[in-house]
Amino acid sequence: MFGRKGNYAYAAARVKAKKAHLLGEEDYSKMLMMTPQEISRYISEAGYAKEMADLANRESGLNLLERATYANMANIFGSILLASTGDLRDMVSAYLTKWDNWNLKVILRGKSYGLDADGIREDLVPAGSLGAESLDKLISMESEEDILAAFSKMTHSAIPQEVVSAYKAKSNLAEIEDFLDRRYYEHLLDVIRPVDRPSFIFRDYVSKEIDVRNFETILKLKLDGVRGEQAMKYIIPGGKQIDAKAAAQLAATETVAEAVAEASQMGFYEDIKDAIDPQAASIRKVVSGMKRYEMMQSKKFSHLYPLSVIPVLDYMIHKENEVNNIRTVARGAESGLDREVIKGLLVI
Amino acid sequence: MSGKEVTPTRSVLLDLKKKIKLSQSGYKIMKMKRDGLIIEFFEVMEKARKMRAGVSSDYEAAMEKITIARVVEGEIAVKSAAYAIKSEPQVKLGSKSIMGMMVPKVEATAIHTSLVDKGYGVISTSAYIEEAAAAFEKLLDTLVRAAEIETTMKKLLDEIEKTKRRVNALEFKIIPELKESERFVKFRLEEMERENTTRLKHLKRKGEAAE
Repeated sequence: MFGRKGNYAYAAARVKAKKAHLLGEEDYSKMLMMTPQEISRYISEAGYAKEMADLANRESGLNLLERATYANMANIFGSILLASTGDLRDMVSAYLTKWDNWNLKVILRGKSYGLDADGIREDLVPAGSLGAESLDKLISMESEEDILAAFSKMTHSAIPQEVVSAYKAKSNLAEIEDFLDRRYYEHLLDVIRPVDRPSFIFRDYVSKEIDVRNFETILKLKLDGVRGEQAMKYIIPGGKQIDAKAAAQLAATETVAEAVAEASQMGFYEDIKDAIDPQAASIRKVVSGMKRYEMMQSKKFSHLYPLSVIPVLDYMIHKENEVNNIRTVARGAESGLDREVIKGLLVI
Repeated sequence: MSGKEVTPTRSVLLDLKKKIKLSQSGYKIMKMKRDGLIIEFFEVMEKARKMRAGVSSDYEAAMEKITIARVVEGEIAVKSAAYAIKSEPQVKLGSKSIMGMMVPKVEATAIHTSLVDKGYGVISTSAYIEEAAAAFEKLLDTLVRAAEIETTMKKLLDEIEKTKRRVNALEFKIIPELKESERFVKFRLEEMERENTTRLKHLKRKGEAAE
C-alpha cells in the first residue's frame, strides 16, 4: 500500500528522531517567563546553536534569533529533501516549493525597492528546492523578466506571458505573487496522487489548507470592500469545503460577520465562531482561530501510517510552527506584550 | 507725532481731523478683527485638541498592530511586504482665507491604497500585515489633517498677536498723539487769532490817534 515508490521507512525514521527534539508546550510556557536574551540562550541549547553561532558575526538580538531559526529550518528541510527518493521526494519537493516562491517574492520585492544583493540575501529562507547558489544567481540578475525566466527554468515551471505582461503593465508584483500561490497549490494537488490512504490524507490536508487560505483571502478583501466577482479572482481551486460555489456565496456576503455565519457548516467554524466582534474592524482573531484549526488537522493524522509521507509532512508542519512560535514568544517579550496576549498568538 | 512738530495751520488741522477719524474707524475695525480672530482661534483650538487625541489614538493603534504583525509574521515578512508597496501618498497644498488671512489647506490624496493595488500578493500576505498597513494609512491621513489644523492655529495666533499690537498702537499711541497735535494746533490757531485781533485793535487805535 505504501513504501513502494520512495524510501518512506528511512525518511520516516529520520523525521521521527528529529520530531523528538521539537519544543513542547511546557517549553513555550517556560519561554514565556524569560527575557529575549534568555530565550536566545534557551533555543541555542534546544538545537539551534550551530545556526546562532554561524550568523552571530552578522546579526544580533532578535534578528539573529529569527534568521537562525529560519536557517535551521531550511537546513533540516533541505536534508529531508536530500534523503527522500521517488514519489516521496516529489511530494516533499512540491510541498517545499512554497519557500522557493517566498524567496522569489523576496528577491522581486527587494529588486523593485532597490535593495542591494546583501540586503536581499539576508531575508532569504532557502528551505525549498532552490539552494543558496541558485538564489544568488537570481539576485545577480538585473531585470525582473530575467529573474522570472531563470526561476521558471530552475523550477521547470513557466510563468505565463500574460501574468508577466499584467505585472509589467501595472508594475504590481501582486499579479505574479498571486499566480505563484495559486500554482503552488494546484501543483501540490497534482503531485499528491491519491493512490493510497496516506497520500489521500495528505491531499485532504492540503485541500483544508486551501480552504483556510481562501477564507482568509475573502475576509481580507471584505475588510477592504472587495466582494463578489472581484474577490473570486483570488480564490484557489481545490478546496475541500470551499469549492467555487461556496466561495461565490462567501464572497457575496456584505460583512465579515456575515461571511463567518455563512461558513457555519464548515469544519473550521467551531474555531472561529467566537472570534467575531461586529464592532472591531479586525479579522486577527479569526485568522488566529483558523491557524489553530490547521494545526489541529495535522495533529489528527500525525500518529497514523508511520511508514508513509504522513510523518514527514507532520514533522515539516510542526517544525515550521515551532520556528513561528519561537519568534512569536521572543518578539512578544521584546515588545513588552502581555504574557496572555503572546500565549494567545501561539499556535500549540 | 509730537504736537510741537506740526505746523499750526488750518489745513494741518483739517488734515489732523481726517487722520483722527480714519484712525478711530481703523481702530474699531482692528478691534473687531481681533475679536473675530479670537473666536475663530477657539474654534480651531477645539478642533486641534480633538485632532491631537485622534493622532494619539491612531498612533497607538498603528503601533499595536505593527507590533503584533512583527510578533506573528516576523521582521523579515513585514519588511519584505513594505518593500513591495509601490504607491506613495500624495499631498495637495492650497490655501484658504480666514478674515483676510491666508491659511494652508492640506488635502491628502492617494493615502489609502486598496489591498489589490498595494503591490504585494493578496493571497499570501498575512491579515496581520494588512491590518498594520491599513492602520498606518489611517494615521497618515490623520496626521495630514492635523498638520493643516495645527498650522492654521499657529498662523491665527501670530495674526491675533499682530492685530493686538496694532490695536494697542492705535489706542495708546497714534490716536492720543494725533489728538494732542490737534489740540496743539487748535490752541496755536486760537492764540494766533487773538494776537491778530489785538494787533488789529492796536493798529486801529494808532490810526484814530493820528487822525
